[in-house]
Order: sequence, then structure tokens, then C-alpha cells
Amino acid sequence: MSKDTGRKRIAIMVGAGYIPGINAVVAGASLAAGKLGWELVGILDGFEGILHPEKYPDGGVIEINPRVLNLDPNTGSVLGQSARIDPFNVRTINKDEMVEEVDMSDELLKKLKAEKIDAVISIVGGKGLTILYQLQRKGLNAVCVPRSIENEIASTSVSFGFNTALTFTIDMLDRARLAAKAAHKIAVVEVQGEEAGWIALQAGIAVAADAVLIPEIPVDLKNVAAHLKDKMSGKKSWGLVVVAQGAKIINQHKNEEPVSTLKASLSPLATSDSNSEFVIHSSGQAAQAVATGIQLRIAEETFPMVIGPWVRGGAPSAVDRQLGVAYGAGAIQALEAGKNGVMVSFVPPDIKFVPLAEAINKVRTVPAEGMFFQIADSLGIYVGK
Amino acid sequence: MINQTNNILDITGRVLNIQRYCSHDGPGIRTNVFIKGCSLRCKWCGNPESIRLKPEVSYDPKKCDGKKCSICLKAPFPEGGFYFVDGDDTKVKVNWQLAAGTTEEMVALCPTGALEMFGKTMTVGEVMEQVEKDSSIYRSSGGGMTISGGEVMLQPDFAAALLQEAHNRGINTAIETACNAPWANLEKVLPHVDIVLHDLKLMNSERHKKWTGVGNERILANFKKAYETFPKIDFIARTPLIPGVNADDEHILGVLEFIKPHKNVIDYELLPYHRFGLGKYESLGVVYELDDYKTPSEEVVQRYQAMIDKAFGRTGEK
Repeated sequence: MSKDTGRKRIAIMVGAGYIPGINAVVAGASLAAGKLGWELVGILDGFEGILHPEKYPDGGVIEINPRVLNLDPNTGSVLGQSARIDPFNVRTINKDEMVEEVDMSDELLKKLKAEKIDAVISIVGGKGLTILYQLQRKGLNAVCVPRSIENEIASTSVSFGFNTALTFTIDMLDRARLAAKAAHKIAVVEVQGEEAGWIALQAGIAVAADAVLIPEIPVDLKNVAAHLKDKMSGKKSWGLVVVAQGAKIINQHKNEEPVSTLKASLSPLATSDSNSEFVIHSSGQAAQAVATGIQLRIAEETFPMVIGPWVRGGAPSAVDRQLGVAYGAGAIQALEAGKNGVMVSFVPPDIKFVPLAEAINKVRTVPAEGMFFQIADSLGIYVGK
Repeated sequence: MINQTNNILDITGRVLNIQRYCSHDGPGIRTNVFIKGCSLRCKWCGNPESIRLKPEVSYDPKKCDGKKCSICLKAPFPEGGFYFVDGDDTKVKVNWQLAAGTTEEMVALCPTGALEMFGKTMTVGEVMEQVEKDSSIYRSSGGGMTISGGEVMLQPDFAAALLQEAHNRGINTAIETACNAPWANLEKVLPHVDIVLHDLKLMNSERHKKWTGVGNERILANFKKAYETFPKIDFIARTPLIPGVNADDEHILGVLEFIKPHKNVIDYELLPYHRFGLGKYESLGVVYELDDYKTPSEEVVQRYQAMIDKAFGRTGEK
């Protein structure tokens, strides 16, 4: 309950990694809380504002309700960001000036209690859901709002942030296509998607790409190259390949790592190995590997491009803006309904509340027999199936 | 961590791995004892499994039998620690947050070895049993035992006992350290060391803090005091050379200026950065923080090597 008034006091915080539209969620929660006469406060920089309030001259917990009228959903997060939010592994420097990770979850709960916070709304991605699940099991009243660029969070048809990323990616692919056309080359564009290929596939369909490589379907670059050669055998002198960051390439060996003296300082487990299937996670490597792989197989020139973190900036799309506001309001509705340990979920046409235990440990991948693959196939897009 | 015991052989420490036939961390053929736990968090670290003191579970999907097995989805494994996702991928996925409670006993139940535990408690006697297997090779090659890490100074009693016991058995000793520890720890360990391979990662303290987590004032003070207090030890300075981090004149010249007044610093080695540890980050569920950094070019390495050779009065081919 609020320190002074006795009304409910709810805190809202954001997990690691910026996604456009966070302010929309905050605004939605604030308006809905205000209507109930509840107080909404914001924790700055993940849980930092609570765990380390001394870092903030004006305090690590800020009032939201009175500010909401000036809260622009188009701007960055009013709550700030933290690189990591895990209170079970907080990196600290101990009294001996040595770096270590310590479990500060008990201290976090104690401090939230001292701030008389009744519940926490967390705007988090997949890992954040697990952290809030753990905190909820330790006694925290928690409601989560799913946010994700690649839309891999299960138990909701869409996370906010995805539509903005998709919209921006399509815009960039349009530009890449024009560049490829002008240069008579094959543009290989890496897009977000480490675990799920939604952005790559949906954006690839939207721009009618020549091939789309996603994590769900390991592909042999020999087949991708053959498809491109076939498509470029007529008048078409350019190509466009969309590659998700987590695309899996088969039958391609990694480059042999040259022996270095540094290796001697590494533990025995550092030896690199090559296997028949490998996953590329580092930004830019997927585009590079695919572009090189194609160019080595056919007599066409390729150029790799990376969209990468560009999708994390800017204003939210219209869809994400309304979804964010709805999710924020939905989180307050969940608390009003006495729900605890749930994730707000959009199951068209309804907003529902899914227990966190059911929301974690699931990845919303593109279903193998889904309509998107059929559409891609009918458009002549190679997807590895 | 350390058992209260009067017998040096019974003192225990947390060991990551013991690697025989090593040839780069000190002279001759050596056995490297990797101990677990580090007091820095270098963003380029190639041994992520050595960073934390506590034992950690790792997972190698290539060895996993997936849905045919599923043993890790049931008790006694932590609830929610391991799971499957829908689709063609039959391999187990790991929820690293929830899997943190996995123990050595549980890992032993994994029939394929896909799950592995990094870090086990060993006695000095147990480690020496492994180390002593190659005593004749040490003698013929001029080698010995090297304690690497992690950070050796984080387990000073165990390290001191291990080094002392090696000396008792006539085995040459070396350690690899960044020396981010209280001087009291160094005082325990260094009397039993023949060679110290020590990192000088960044001479600029602000940049040192940015890339490793702490400033370098105490580290530099420790080294200076160590050079002066232990004149019979051979010190070899090392820098993991990373373009964009420390592959610059300021750092290399700064190191040379720091070490040159001390005659017992016999060499300065460059270790060109390589992304060898990358796969291990995935197997531990740890985020690699130095994503887009490249290996230094041969040209850069050679240029700085020439500066070092000149400073040490070496000419011609090495």
C-alpha cells in the first residue's frame, strides 16, 4: 500500500534490451492504474533503481501517474535500461575489490517491501520471464508483459516490439533490393531472429525475396545457390536473400581456427571443432557466411548487409503502440482481478493471463506445416523445404 | 573452500581441469592445472567456465540423445531447468536460470555426457597424483607444473600448498595470474613459484575498468611489489592483444615502461586475441560480451613484437 494514502502501489520496470514502445506500456498501465485510484511508480534501469538507489540523486523509484500526461509513446523508455536485470546474479565488486556475482534476490524483495510496493509489472523478454517466475516463487506479486523483437515468446500470438521490427525490416529489405538491382549483385541481408524466423520469413514474403533462411530449417547453401542460379538464368541479374541471425547451415565446415599462442592459456575445452551443422549467433556472421558460401558456388557476386540493432531504435509502429498500451492496461486488469505470477497474453480478440510457469521454457517457432511456408513456396521463395 | 588440515596433501581447492603436455605456459613440457574462480570479468575471456568459483553445469547439444532419453526433464533435475520446444529440433534446451541448481550427482545421470559439471573439489594429493605422472618428461624437457585459471590468487591456500608440494617433489612451478587480489594472497603463493606469467591487460586504469570490471591500481602495485620482494622469480608479462581494446602504442609502450626497470621481468609476450572460447559461452548459457572484435592482423602483431624485441635488446629473427 502507498506510504501516505493507503491505496495500492504498483511498480513497473523494464528488462534488458531496448524495444520501441516501452513508454506505450507504461502509459497504458498508468492510465488504467489511475482510473482505479492506484499509484504507479517506475523502477529505473531494470531493478537497479531498487537495488542501488544511491546511484540516483533523485531516487531510483520515480512517480509515473502524474507524469503520464507528458509521456510520449514515441520516445525512448522513461524507465531507462539496464544491461542485465538478474537479481540472482548481480555483478558486484566485493570488499577485496574482486568482481563476483552475488544473489541479491532476498535484498530486492526486502527493498520492494520497504518501498511498500504491492506488485511489480515487468516488461520482459524470454529470460526475464524466468527471472520474474523465480521471484514470484519467492513471494513477489508479479505480472509480466511480453516484449520481443523476434516474437519467440510462446503463449501469446504476438509480443510488442515485433511489429515495429518487422515494419522496419521490410523497409530496409526494399532498399537492399534496389541496391542489389542497381549493382547486379545478390544482397544477403541478415535480420533479427536467433531462435525464431518470424521476421525473416514474414519480411521475406513481403518483399518477395529469392530465399529466406531461418533457424527452424537447416539449409545447405548448395541448394540456395542452385535456386538463385536458376532464378538468375533469365533476364534477372540480381538477387535478395534474407538470413535470420540464428540460421543453421548444414554441410559446411567452419573455417579452421589458426593455432595461436593464446590457445595455450585456454582450458582444454577451448578447442574449436567442426561439425556438420553449425549455428551462427554473432551479429553479421550469418550474412557473411551465407554471402561467401553462395559466391563460392555460383558465378554471381554477393554482398552481405546487417540490419542488426537498427530495429531497436525509433518510434513504435501503430500496431505496437496500441498493443503496448493494451498490454500495460491489461497488466493492471490482471492485478485488479487478483492474478499473480501471470503474463499478459494477446489471444485474438482477447487479452488473457497465462501463468508464468506455462509461459517459460517455450519458444514460439514458425510451424513447419504452417501457412507462411506454403505462401513462400507459392511465391517462388526458397526456404529450405 | 579450504579444509582445516595439518596435512598439506589434504588441503582442497576448486579445480576446473588438469591438462597434460602443454608447451606454452612456461618452459618445457608442462601440466596445466586450471583452477576455477576469477576476480576479473574480461569481456574477451576465452575460459568462461573458469570465471565463477562455484561449480557450473554445461550442455553440449551435439552429445544429447534428446527425446529418446529425456532423463534431465525429470527429478532429481531442477524443475524447468531442461525442456523441449515444439518442432523438428529434438535436442534438449536449457533454461540456464533454473538449471543453475544442477549438481554433480545429477550430471552423472546423463548417459551421453551432454551434461558436464565444470569445477570439482580436489585435494592437493589428488592433483599431484595427476601432475606427477609426467615427472620424467618435466625433467627431460625442462618443464613442470603451471597453475592457470581462473585466478590462482583467489585460492591462495590451495595454490600455495600445491606449489609447495610440487617443489617438495622437485617439480618446477609456474603460475598464470592477473594479480587482482589482496597482497596477503600473493605473499602466500609467490614463495613457492619459479615463474610468474602475468597479465598486463590495460595500463590505463579507466579502460582497464571498462573491459575487466575493476581499475588496475592495485594490480600494478602488486606487480611492482612482487618484482621487488621476489627477485629470484622470473616474471613474464603478457598481453592478450585485442584490436580496439589494447592493441595500441599507448598500452604496449606503457607495459614496457612499467616492466623494464625490473631485471627479473625477463620477457613480454603478446597473445593475439582469438575467439576460441565462443562455443563454450553457448554451452554455459553465458552472453559473450565481445561480439564483434577481430583477431589482430599479423602486421600489427609483428610491429608490436618488434618494439618488444628492441626493448629487450633482441635483434634478428626470433
